Amino acid sequence: MSTFSIASTTGETIRLAGVSKTYETASGPLPVLRDINLQVEAGEFISFVGPSGCGKSTLLKIIAGLVSYDTGTVEVGDQKPKAGREDIGFMLQQSVLMPWLDVSKNVELPFVIARRQDVSTSRRVEELLDLVGLSSVASLNPWELSGGMQQRVALARALALDPGIMLMDEPFSALDEFKREYLNIEVAQMADQLGKTTLLVTHSIGEAVLMSDRIIALGANPGRTVGDIAVDLERPRRADMIGTDQYQQICNEVRAALASDLAGEML
Amino acid sequence: MTNSVFYRIGLPVLVGVVLVATWQLMSNFGMINEIMIPSPAAIVVGFSELVTRGYFWDSTWVTLQETLYGFAIGVTLGLIIGALTGTFQTFRTAFYPFVIAFQNTPRVALAPIFLTWFGFGITSKVVMAAVICFFPVVINTVAGMASVDDNAKMLFRTMGASKSQTFFRLTLPGASAIAFAGVKTALTLALLGAIVAEFVGGSVGLGVLIKELNFQLEVAKAFSVVLFLAVIGLVLYGLIELLERYLITWKQD
Repeated sequence: MSTFSIASTTGETIRLAGVSKTYETASGPLPVLRDINLQVEAGEFISFVGPSGCGKSTLLKIIAGLVSYDTGTVEVGDQKPKAGREDIGFMLQQSVLMPWLDVSKNVELPFVIARRQDVSTSRRVEELLDLVGLSSVASLNPWELSGGMQQRVALARALALDPGIMLMDEPFSALDEFKREYLNIEVAQMADQLGKTTLLVTHSIGEAVLMSDRIIALGANPGRTVGDIAVDLERPRRADMIGTDQYQQICNEVRAALASDLAGEML
Repeated sequence: MTNSVFYRIGLPVLVGVVLVATWQLMSNFGMINEIMIPSPAAIVVGFSELVTRGYFWDSTWVTLQETLYGFAIGVTLGLIIGALTGTFQTFRTAFYPFVIAFQNTPRVALAPIFLTWFGFGITSKVVMAAVICFFPVVINTVAGMASVDDNAKMLFRTMGASKSQTFFRLTLPGASAIAFAGVKTALTLALLGAIVAEFVGGSVGLGVLIKELNFQLEVAKAFSVVLFLAVIGLVLYGLIELLERYLITWKQD
């Protein structure tokens, strides 16, 4: 990937206070989030880790305005959450590229949807593809790319409208260990330099430590905060930090926060 | 081995040649009653006589018209009804049970009724072809629309896509591969519908010709027309496959 020189909107703040959510299911109400309080500073990189069913993805969808919440307040850049905001970029576990569009057209899609295509769009798409190191495959079809490359296209697409907030729902979980680690570093460095407020949902403690400024550990049934751990590894993040004592110590802190909740559940 | 030209093309050709040669030899040695099942050589001779007659080509043109008009009408209506069914829940709840029920009735049984309604001309055959090829298009279009990835729908919501943007930029292209499989089936069925309708009542067409040749005990010629219909079916299928490759370039995904 190139150095990140393209113009960038700086991050926005996110505030959640007393947020709870219960899904109505066929077998009755299912509480998924209880009393979530969180303040995310502009440009901060936060990861949510926790077991399956702890409401990590629901939390991200609430912030994106895709799912409503029952109680509490949510402010995303001083506004209530609303689906389709141009200041939010979203990345999912799958790359969700449109197979009928080539790579550059996939990156261009947010401009088309927002009806913001103009003479500068193709240049912007070129810049984004350069940013994720895929300039040479702009005219290829998505199925001709590896899984890692497909996720890079999804990243370029999420950054297309230069959002202040990036929401990433397990975007690397379908990749093999090597590609995952490589992209972890690249995205962490990119988030640093672009100054986006970034929220990452992940099952991987190591990934969370390597990328984040802060890790929110969530317990399950219902999802609630069981730990708020600062990651004071120096920036920019590098792959060789993985073996350090400091990295291991933070991993252990996160593990301990999650384990205490799991132990309580087992008893 | 399985990718070689011999394996993919040569092997079926070889099997065909062996079968035809065996059939011809059995006819030569009197093991097959030629009145019931004419030999391949007799079929070729019969066909070479037929192609010199103007009525053969008139019949071919009429059957092709019935098939293609019926196909165009059936596919157009099938795509529209399928898209409405896949898009609007109320439409689906109100009408789809009737589509399913009608899909499971033997639609060729309608041919005599269409003859009464629309007469012995081309219209009754076109309607039969359209009705018979309508259902696979509707059902595949609905299935195609239901197959569109929920994550892609969510992504479009995050981008603030309107309903029409989601329909034209996601649902329609996303459903097209499965819908097109229904269109391909429909083409074969349209030919079937036209021929069945001609059997029931008509004055010109390849179905009428088969019936008349059979009555005249010109079985070899009747066989040759059946084989000619098979060739027409193959050519039409080949053309629709080409169209599919042109329109749905991402199918190899």
